[in-house]
Amino acid sequence: MKLSFPRGITFKMTLLVLGGTAAVFTFVLAYSYIYSRKMMLAEAEESARNLTLSVARRIEQEFRAVAEVPPEEATFLDLTTWDKTSLLRLIRRMVQDHREIFGSSIAFEPFAFEPDKRFFAPYYYRSKKGIAFEQLGSKSYDYIRKDWYHVPKVLKAPVWSEPYFDEGGGGILMTTYSYPFFEKGQEGQDKKVRAIITADVSLDWLTKLVGSIRVGKSGYCFIVSDTGKIVTHPQRQLIMVESLFSLAEELHDPRFRTIGRAMIHKKSGFMEFGSTLSGEDSLLAFARIPTPGWSLGTVFPKRELLAKVTMLHQTTMLLATGGILLLLAVSLVISRSLTRPLVRMAQATARVAKGDLDLELNQSDIRRQDEVGLLAQHFKRMVAGLKERDRIRDTFGRYLTQEVVNRLLESKTGLKLGGESREISMIMSDLRGFTALTSNMPPEQVIAFLNRYLGKMVEILIDYRGIIDEIIGDGILAFFGAPESLEDHPGYAVACALTMQASMGEINARNEIDGWPHLDMGVAVNTGEVVVGNIGSEKRTKYGAVGSQVNFTGRIESFTVGGQVLISESTYSKLSDILDVRNVLNIEMKGVPGKVKLYDVRGIGEPYNVRLPERNDTPVPPSEKVYVQVYRLNQKIVTGTYSLGWFRLLSLSSGVLALDGEIKQWEDVRIELVNDQQEPIPGQSYAKVVSVKKVGDEYEAEVRFTSVSPEAYKVFRRATGTARKESA
Amino acid sequence: MRKIGVIFCIILGVLLAAGVPADAALKEVSLIPQWLPQAQFAGYMVALEKGFYRDAGIDLNLLRGGPGKPPFEMLKSGRTTFCTGWLSTAIQKRATGTPLVNIAQIMQRSALILVARKNSGITRPEDLNGKSVGLWAGQFYLPPAVFFRKYNLHVKIIPNYSSMSLFLKGGVKAIAAMWYNEYHTLLNSGLNPDELTLFFFSDYGLNFPEDGLYCMEETFRTNPQVCSDFVKASLKGWLYAFDHKDEAIDIVMKWAKRANTGTNRAHQRWMLARMQDLILPDGDRAGLGKLKPRDYEFVGGVLLGLDLIKELPQFDVFYRGPR
Repeated sequence: MKLSFPRGITFKMTLLVLGGTAAVFTFVLAYSYIYSRKMMLAEAEESARNLTLSVARRIEQEFRAVAEVPPEEATFLDLTTWDKTSLLRLIRRMVQDHREIFGSSIAFEPFAFEPDKRFFAPYYYRSKKGIAFEQLGSKSYDYIRKDWYHVPKVLKAPVWSEPYFDEGGGGILMTTYSYPFFEKGQEGQDKKVRAIITADVSLDWLTKLVGSIRVGKSGYCFIVSDTGKIVTHPQRQLIMVESLFSLAEELHDPRFRTIGRAMIHKKSGFMEFGSTLSGEDSLLAFARIPTPGWSLGTVFPKRELLAKVTMLHQTTMLLATGGILLLLAVSLVISRSLTRPLVRMAQATARVAKGDLDLELNQSDIRRQDEVGLLAQHFKRMVAGLKERDRIRDTFGRYLTQEVVNRLLESKTGLKLGGESREISMIMSDLRGFTALTSNMPPEQVIAFLNRYLGKMVEILIDYRGIIDEIIGDGILAFFGAPESLEDHPGYAVACALTMQASMGEINARNEIDGWPHLDMGVAVNTGEVVVGNIGSEKRTKYGAVGSQVNFTGRIESFTVGGQVLISESTYSKLSDILDVRNVLNIEMKGVPGKVKLYDVRGIGEPYNVRLPERNDTPVPPSEKVYVQVYRLNQKIVTGTYSLGWFRLLSLSSGVLALDGEIKQWEDVRIELVNDQQEPIPGQSYAKVVSVKKVGDEYEAEVRFTSVSPEAYKVFRRATGTARKESA
Repeated sequence: MRKIGVIFCIILGVLLAAGVPADAALKEVSLIPQWLPQAQFAGYMVALEKGFYRDAGIDLNLLRGGPGKPPFEMLKSGRTTFCTGWLSTAIQKRATGTPLVNIAQIMQRSALILVARKNSGITRPEDLNGKSVGLWAGQFYLPPAVFFRKYNLHVKIIPNYSSMSLFLKGGVKAIAAMWYNEYHTLLNSGLNPDELTLFFFSDYGLNFPEDGLYCMEETFRTNPQVCSDFVKASLKGWLYAFDHKDEAIDIVMKWAKRANTGTNRAHQRWMLARMQDLILPDGDRAGLGKLKPRDYEFVGGVLLGLDLIKELPQFDVFYRGPR
């Protein structure tokens, strides 16, 4: 038996506790992480949106201020009369008065200002030396074809140009607000553009402003135009070169296309920014700058937004790990304290299984007040019980009824095994000629044959509360009235003997089916004073009976013939009024003075009511001549030669033989059948000579068969006309 | 914006003045593309950078094209040995007295297209009727005009000069664009392909093959081998560019940055891919650089029909490229 527990309770319990706890922790942690993350993200989104909106508003104000200027100029031109000088003064003042305007022009339609001049576009702009002037328009710079002029002219509406690098103004980034100024007198789509008033805005301040906005530790702002072109960005190489859409292609990140379209089409938003551009997973908040139609984006690294959540999570993880370790220790201690006594008890059980009942249990286990203590106590009791049972079993052998055992165990005091003189009744039974019958059988068959018989007998004995003292081969010695006292032990004994005898019919029926020999049993019953007690040595003790009465029972038994129950005088005297006695034998017995009276019992009345079946075995003249050779036996050994003879009268259990040789009463004989050609028929049968008469030279012997061979049985049946009807 | 021309002139001057010392073994020639450095001319930049011209014994001076530098004018005046240019324009030049010859037809298909927003209800040619359409002037005007005539469309033509702003800001309902250039600009201004209707003229039986390589007839007569070697090296450059797109784009970007065109790689990548579609339609490498008589007859016929030329030059006179 394996006594180590590599996957024992400690392992399982620890695993279960830790697994369960870890699962709970994981669930709680995951929930708290997800929830707090969601909360923080929501909070971050809110603040990101607000920040973005406020920056966008600030930028918007600047653009709006610029956008207010050209309409003022247009109104002025509409409402006043002016000439070239006042026009130039107006433009110059506009640049001078509005620090957010980099340069301004009023560009006229071809030949509209002076009929002979294709171009007329005075332009004032800021230079390092103060406000400078230039007349725009030349063969190489045809402003009519420039977007800042052409698009508002076609649209007849003000337009903010795409941002562009102005090489003329010192490589600054700018955008131009173009405001169409119409000829007088026309309305709607018919109105004719006379000039385009422009206000250039340097985006330097925008770049500086957006660059200066701190977004957490590593976040940043950027601006895209209404075509998604990057106007400002901390990565300067992207400015005016890439758009969100070209980035989508070049970085193979289609997300930027989605972002670009959202920033172009939506007023504001909040979305995933990914990590392809900023190097780490980020979020984007954006807001429209309405006047130029651009969009401000703010990029927040998630790591930073979630820093608090991450820290909280790490702390909780640490606590959880600590908790789990603590639990591990506790669960190990607890489960070890549980399993250690269990292991000890398992070892003890293994020893018990090996038959060692003299073991000591740990006293601390037994004294424990918990289930383990209970188990230890019960175990101790169990071992004690086993010990007791072993003692009893050793003493009584296997042939005690459960009832008797229980009774013995329960009434320890009433059971004295030391030895006492007591009156009991005994049964002794034996099969006639068994040894000879089975001498030619294979050993396995002998055992099967014997066990069929013994099994039935033991069953009957136990039913009648008999104690089996001994089984030797086919012989059984059993007694009634000890160790527990039994008031009517003679009655039980006789009834038991009769039942045993009666059951032989059934056994023989089965034997006949199997082709096994017919069996005859003799049973003797005797009552008398014997000594009962434990007989034997330390190693092997047996509860048994000794005394002359036991031997006497054996003697009686030797006088029985098959199918007979002989009881002694002493038994008979106790039951005479309920017994059905067929015959009384007066026998001389060796070592017993005088004649001994034996009673051939056929039945017992109330309360036992057992009766042997009436056997139709009155010998009759056989229907055919049955010849035999008869051998005389002494102590089961053949003595002398055989005599020849034949049956005058025959039944299945007895017969009257006419013999040519000498024979004596009570002698045992072996009978072998021969046919009328004097040839032997196989099979040997045995019989006891009950009486002998000498008629002339011949002896006439009455015999009772003790054992009949199957071959002989067949012949007897035929000759006596008791052959079984063969089933059709 | 205003000084750009001046700067170009200066750069050009510097380049010309700093001309590489003559290598006796190498023929000194020059090429002017019809626009600023971009993947439209990737083949020539790659051939130069990879030494294909040098290997063919040619010392090429790749000039910077751009506004104010009409290639055929520069060819005629002898400021360049070779130029790129449109077939239709070249035929007109030849027919009106500039003795130039086509030494290779690089693009086999029209790249000029009309683009409209689907949500302005334009999905078929007839939907353009009565709509405002932004068109470039000059040679870019011809294919749309033929298209409108074929479908009898009366459109309001608005001149467009440079960018796509006119269309993006809603100034016109449709606009002419180069498939390899401005169309991608529209896509990268936030318009999705499925939001746009494209009219490829070649889909409507009006195929005007565009860029080809040209030189003066005199040049070809006196140096046929140099011309042929130049064409071979150029075509080799194109095939190399198509087979090594990343490397080709690196080269293009280098040239574009030097010219400060403010483009980006994504745009040049698109352009190079479209070049492949236009130069090797259906992957046909056998037809590489060849002018097909059918295309010549078609474009010539259109020009004759519009009375833009009086007489179509003989194909064999006009075309001296690979057969």
